[in-house]
Amino acid sequence: MARKLSYAKAINEALHQEMEHDPSVFILGEDVARMGGDFGITQGIWHKWPDRARDTALSESAIIGLSVGSAVCGLRPVAELMFADFVTVCYDQLVNNAAKIHFMYGGEASCPIVVRAVTGSGIRCAYHHSQSIEPWLMNIPGLIIVAPATPYEAKGMLISAIRNNDPVVFLEHKLLYNRKGEVPVEPYEIELFKAEIERKGDDITIVATMRMLDLAHAAAKELENEGVGVEIIDPRTLFPLDKRTIIESVAKTGRLVVVQEGPKVMGFGAEIGAMVSEEIFEYLRAPIKRVTSLDVPIAFSPELEDYVNPTMDHVLAACRSVMSF
Amino acid sequence: MALTKKRLLELYCDMVSIRKFEEAVENYSKNGTIPGFIHLSIGQEAAQAGVVGALKKTDYKFPDHRGHGAICLCGTEKKRVMAEIFGKVDGINGGRGGSMHINDLSCRNMGFNGIQGSTVVTALGTAFASTYKKTDAVTAVFMGDGTLGEGTCHESMNMAATWKLPIIYCLLNNQYAISTHYTESHPQKQLATWADGYEVPNEVVDGNDIEAVVEAVERAAERARKGEGPTLLEFMTYRWQGHFSGDPAAYRPDGELEAWQQKCPINRSRKQLMEIHGCSGAELDELDARADAEIAEAVQFALDSPWPDPKNALKHVYATVQVEDWK
Ligand SMILES: Cc1ncc(C[n+]2csc(CCOP(=O)(O)OP(=O)(O)O)c2C)c(N)n1
Ligand SMILES: [Mg+2]
Repeated sequence: MARKLSYAKAINEALHQEMEHDPSVFILGEDVARMGGDFGITQGIWHKWPDRARDTALSESAIIGLSVGSAVCGLRPVAELMFADFVTVCYDQLVNNAAKIHFMYGGEASCPIVVRAVTGSGIRCAYHHSQSIEPWLMNIPGLIIVAPATPYEAKGMLISAIRNNDPVVFLEHKLLYNRKGEVPVEPYEIELFKAEIERKGDDITIVATMRMLDLAHAAAKELENEGVGVEIIDPRTLFPLDKRTIIESVAKTGRLVVVQEGPKVMGFGAEIGAMVSEEIFEYLRAPIKRVTSLDVPIAFSPELEDYVNPTMDHVLAACRSVMSF
Repeated sequence: MALTKKRLLELYCDMVSIRKFEEAVENYSKNGTIPGFIHLSIGQEAAQAGVVGALKKTDYKFPDHRGHGAICLCGTEKKRVMAEIFGKVDGINGGRGGSMHINDLSCRNMGFNGIQGSTVVTALGTAFASTYKKTDAVTAVFMGDGTLGEGTCHESMNMAATWKLPIIYCLLNNQYAISTHYTESHPQKQLATWADGYEVPNEVVDGNDIEAVVEAVERAAERARKGEGPTLLEFMTYRWQGHFSGDPAAYRPDGELEAWQQKCPINRSRKQLMEIHGCSGAELDELDARADAEIAEAVQFALDSPWPDPKNALKHVYATVQVEDWK
């Protein structure tokens, strides 16, 4: 049975069900237990399992370090980073510890942690609480980066992430928390490392994640009226990437537009573009286009923040440009 | 050594202006005019006014995220601080930073970094520069009880103590870090004792007593200026609002807020001014009214100020490179 849930509620439900399902799962982070999280995502867990929900000091490095150590001993911590920007404070633990555990122990131990991190811009909280951190972590073999876009994906992918034996950074976009969608009541997994084709089309492939999918869909509708068919792919797991789905689509359409929140330089759009031109250059009918934020920090004032991020018009312009070849 | 009537009156006015400033910010945040989220310092006026009031203009100040009051007292025109919080072009930082990132180097308000604990290590640098350049400037860095959990606080204190850097760690213990009471995230009953491990002198100060705050900061500043190194001051206080404006603060036990409101730093100074220094209620009301007028003017300025030109988003990213605008 399914009913409508918000993205926030879907994540909350996944956490409850995994706590129920596996006694080695526990949650930790700043204000996650008694208050139920700064964004309310962990509500109700502490009431049911007071020993398995821990409020910590403001100590991100300790939060991730503790997670890693306990994971090596067989526990499955789900840590919260109140804002993904704070990943800088525990970067060492993620990069040099979590991501290397399996390698270091030659497979005799692994690091099944999930770090839930609230990412992205759009709520007017300026340059230290608005960054799109995906590319900061996509260059770290050993880490898995997951970015769900719908409530259905959020629940299923979080359950998969918790059950997965490698360290997962689970990105939650703050502007999606109130987004509603159908979510099954029972626990279910969504396979990681598998992109989703959200819309079929023959002329252009758009790859987009999280909030940027809205722009892609709006542009696709507009282009449909002009007789242009857009195929939309959400990679869902950013790293390691489901290359095959993207390659097959671009081989068909011959045109690729990547829509990405965050600076253009070295963003995931750069990787997808490079990968496609390396693998199937001969199928391309037009240059690959990236639609991204500007290469600047996110400012506070709405006028400034909105100028920095991509809009539907930018996506349209990129699509029209690739169609002109 | 008690403060003179004149000094106490000045500090009283500073505290009242913080209170009124914050009340205005709260109103315009609640009605949706101010974008984003804001952290109010109502109830903590004495700690802010006292720290800034005891320092020189040339001293370096690192306010924290709950620092509108300290920021205004460092010397920036209040209306330009207000305009910044409103995200307007006349804001002291052109709307780039908003409530959490207000800085003004002209009065050595070094600003806040949205990453808790970050300025606590940056403060090492301004303090080091003072010794390097042989000036008498000290550095005061504000930090919350919760922020003390960050590793940077330990690194900072260790280095400052070893190198005898002129830093005053102003630890505003307002009991909570968001919903977490300080006794649930630290083993110490008094966080000041944490500095003992670094052999850094420390004091627990009644943070709602403006005289006690000023005197403690003056002692610490004197030590720092003499080359005797850092001091940690733990100001016991309380924030009356939730963590951010709109937080219902359901985690507080019944009666706690009311008990602290009895210890209102402003009422306390008012009482002193009347009972010890012979001020009349009318005289003080007149000062309050002046603060009201000043804040009303600051709000009007912020409302009237235009939004920044969107293209300003590309300014100031580098000292030497202009960022490309492909839009
Ligand atoms: C590194 C980092 N972790 C977490 C946060 C989120 N955060 C902002 S303020 C705050 C609580 C700070 O508590 P405290 O230091 O006591 O200051 P107070 O808010 O009480 O003034 C938290 C957790 C942050 N901004 N930076
Ligand atoms: Mg606090």
